[in-house]
Amino acid sequence: MVFALIIDGPLTPECVARALLAHADQWRSLAHDGTIGATLRFEGVVRRAERDPEAADVERDLLALDYQTYDPMAQRGLEALAASVAERHGLRSIVALHSRGRVGVGEVSFVLEVAAPHRVETLAAVADFIDRLKQDVPIWKRAVWAG
Amino acid sequence: MQVEVLIFGAASLGAKSDRVTVDVGEAPTVREVLAALHAQHPALKFALPPPASGRLAVNHSFARGDHAIRPGDEVALITLVGGG
Repeated sequence: MVFALIIDGPLTPECVARALLAHADQWRSLAHDGTIGATLRFEGVVRRAERDPEAADVERDLLALDYQTYDPMAQRGLEALAASVAERHGLRSIVALHSRGRVGVGEVSFVLEVAAPHRVETLAAVADFIDRLKQDVPIWKRAVWAG
Repeated sequence: MQVEVLIFGAASLGAKSDRVTVDVGEAPTVREVLAALHAQHPALKFALPPPASGRLAVNHSFARGDHAIRPGDEVALITLVGGG
């Protein structure tokens, strides 16, 4: 199963569950077919302290990050990257969700969940996906500073 | 011809605009548009890839080098991407 989606705002548990609802049957069937030995879920969270490149890289407090996407290339790029990583690492399933717009400190902006026969594939797939996300998917973040 | 290039992220903030225009010859390649961006918009240099190896998005797909840009194509500078 390969599923990738850009969603407006923070990735709350409710909105993630809503996004995945359409694939619930497919996931249940995969989960019970006996081929999955490991699942790994990564969440990117907006942290408070961030270096400000316009202030000599001094750490400042953030209020939020604003994520800008180049549409529809960002959605297509996220889908293509998910499919490519799934194939390269022999995954049974990959779900990638990314925020568009404002995400506050402590909120989730990125979710990646992968499943494979063994843990080693899942660990490698998550690292590979995140590296390539930053190279190939047109999503930018802008700091919204506190004060 | 003139080519309008969409810009994003830090490049857009620095230029205080979401697009810049370059003057180039007819049917310019990606390499030529990148070279024109370097020459005509030096303030964007921090965000510009080298013309010889860099890429642009043309009609929402990455294109490099000798790819020819036609009138009406949507051209975008995709650099310094920072998702996740």
